[in-house]
Amino acid sequence: MTQKIVVDFGLCEANGVCMGILPEVFDLDDQDYLHVLQDEVTPEIEQQVKEAVRQCPRQAISIREE
Amino acid sequence: MTAAKVVFDPFSEEFFNSPYDIYRRLREEAPVYYNEEYDFYALSRHEDVAAAYKDFETYSSAYGLDLATVRSDEPIPAKMIIIMDPPEHRQMRSLVNKVFTPRAIEALRPMVTATIDRFLSEVNPDQFDVVEDFAALFPVEVITQMLGVPEEYRQKVRQWVDISLHREPGQIDMSEEGMQAVGEQMGLYYQLIQERRANPQDDMFSRLIAAEVTREDGQKQKLDDFEIAGFATLLGGAGAETVTKLVGNAAVTFARFPDQWQKILDDRSKIPAAVEELLRYEAPNQYNVRRSMRDVELHGVTIPAGKPVFLLTGSANRDPEAFTDADKFDIERDRTEAQNLGFGYGVHSCLGAALARMESAIALGRLLDFMPRYEVIWEGCKRVAAQNVAGWTNVPVRVLR
Repeated sequence: MTQKIVVDFGLCEANGVCMGILPEVFDLDDQDYLHVLQDEVTPEIEQQVKEAVRQCPRQAISIREE
Repeated sequence: MTAAKVVFDPFSEEFFNSPYDIYRRLREEAPVYYNEEYDFYALSRHEDVAAAYKDFETYSSAYGLDLATVRSDEPIPAKMIIIMDPPEHRQMRSLVNKVFTPRAIEALRPMVTATIDRFLSEVNPDQFDVVEDFAALFPVEVITQMLGVPEEYRQKVRQWVDISLHREPGQIDMSEEGMQAVGEQMGLYYQLIQERRANPQDDMFSRLIAAEVTREDGQKQKLDDFEIAGFATLLGGAGAETVTKLVGNAAVTFARFPDQWQKILDDRSKIPAAVEELLRYEAPNQYNVRRSMRDVELHGVTIPAGKPVFLLTGSANRDPEAFTDADKFDIERDRTEAQNLGFGYGVHSCLGAALARMESAIALGRLLDFMPRYEVIWEGCKRVAAQNVAGWTNVPVRVLR
């Protein structure tokens, strides 16, 4: 079973909080569109992804078990 | 039993003047507080308030945002995103949210800076009122400019907003005068919408006129005048009130904690962190009211369906379970300890947060230049008595040389 990062783009308003926490994974382009560069939650980034989930003011990020 | 039961009366002088002692007792003694007089509930712990903001299905916004509207128990006829639930909320908010992203707001920096400078250049350093002569004037100018309100009406919008939000102790519903102010404001917006329909400009009125939404029946449709005026009323109001309060609170709070003022004087890069701490320590918006959509069991209390529930962000942000030394004003605190709820959280989190942050940071920077040393004339300070906004109507100061 793997864990995947899921972003609700209807909720995302490009605040960039996630990018501040984990720029290797969350990348906001200059059109305010968020790109998830790696959607698998590996043990190395798990804590930071959870932090991004919690700190997103829009609650637009979640982790899905697959 | 020794101590009297804690009472939270959101319309009392006691609450307007000093909510934090009441909040502490609520968190400790009555985390699911019930007010018998007005028949509402209140959540005050950080964990509970944050969870409730996330759970929009249980805590609906569609019945209003204050006690008066929510307890009437009818969905509000007005069309404003702050009083909508998903999925309608999602669609309507998406019509305006691109304008408010941090990147889009950054492009407004020159306009915001010029507006702030214009008002600050007119004050008298020997004595001026940080709120009345400065902080009350510039935010409304910025947001109404974004909307497309002509210059001669911009300060009028602020006066209408003030009148409609004002509450005397014990007053729950909007006054006659408040209704009239809302009416006059709507009248102006209707007139501007007609003008922009005929002659579009580069402003939010024109954007909203051009926008299309998919209605419940699947039909694509333009917004009507009522919906556009609703947006303008909401954005104008939110943009006019809140930064005013934050900057007024800043002048008072930094006078009380001069060591913190010295820190931003010494290092301007700490200004954004100072804005965040002001939002935590004394947020302009102290609460929002939701309606429970089902029975909720929490801490041994049942909140029945259909009740107004106060989500006390002002209390959550002072919860010692969430923040170390929560009652201490510390601009260098660890901000990752817990979510700062000053801008709310989840689907309704503040649309204008990036604008508010930028306006506040620029204003603080300019005040640091203008009054590196100042004193507050305490006897002239007066607190706001209003619905859910906390702060000062008057903060007279003297610049020390």
